[in-house]
Amino acid sequence: MKVELFYSPGCGRCTDAQNDLKVATLAIVRDLEWRELNVIEELDYAVELGVLTLPAIAIDGELVFTSLPTKGQLCAALSDRRPGGA
Amino acid sequence: MFTIGKLAGLTDLTTETLRYYEQEGLIVPDAKSDAGYRLYRPESVQRVGFIRQAQQCGFTLADIRELLALRTDEAACCGDVRRLAIEKKLQIEGKIRVMKAMSRALDALIHDCSEAGHPVVECPILAALEKSSAMAP
Repeated sequence: MKVELFYSPGCGRCTDAQNDLKVATLAIVRDLEWRELNVIEELDYAVELGVLTLPAIAIDGELVFTSLPTKGQLCAALSDRRPGGA
Repeated sequence: MFTIGKLAGLTDLTTETLRYYEQEGLIVPDAKSDAGYRLYRPESVQRVGFIRQAQQCGFTLADIRELLALRTDEAACCGDVRRLAIEKKLQIEGKIRVMKAMSRALDALIHDCSEAGHPVVECPILAALEKSSAMAP
């Protein structure tokens, strides 16, 4: 599975929250590809996925969160998308 | 201090627009005259200019309210404003993409209708629109 986090660089508070989320998620979900995309550098892709607010998270190429989720919300969304469901 | 009429004249806006800005919480009169008329400090000209400029960049009045709040928020940083600007750009780029798709769809319809002299009942553009509306849920 692939998680793509679109962010706007320059916000220290966001970076801390994103790092916490990444560490917690990688610890729980195995075989996870975690990508952090600077939205300015990946604007076309962000627009293609329908990203309108930041930070945003896509799972396997589908926009799922339009703001930073909690660790529980992200893990639940990943679990729902695993083959065979939660 | 300026009256609303003077402020409107200085900013090339109507008094109705300024009252609407006030209603939306974007500007606030600094005082009222003895007769109850709104009075504004000269700095209001700059604030109204800021609002107009932001509108021209595509920001909605709600966005502008947020921008104005950030301007006076000591805990805010430039990154917060930048994020709002990037989000606006994402919205605009999304709209451009939709408009381009609409333009391509129109190109196809225009291409299909090469015979401008056809009677309107045989118009392929109207037929295509009719067909797509019948297919719509």
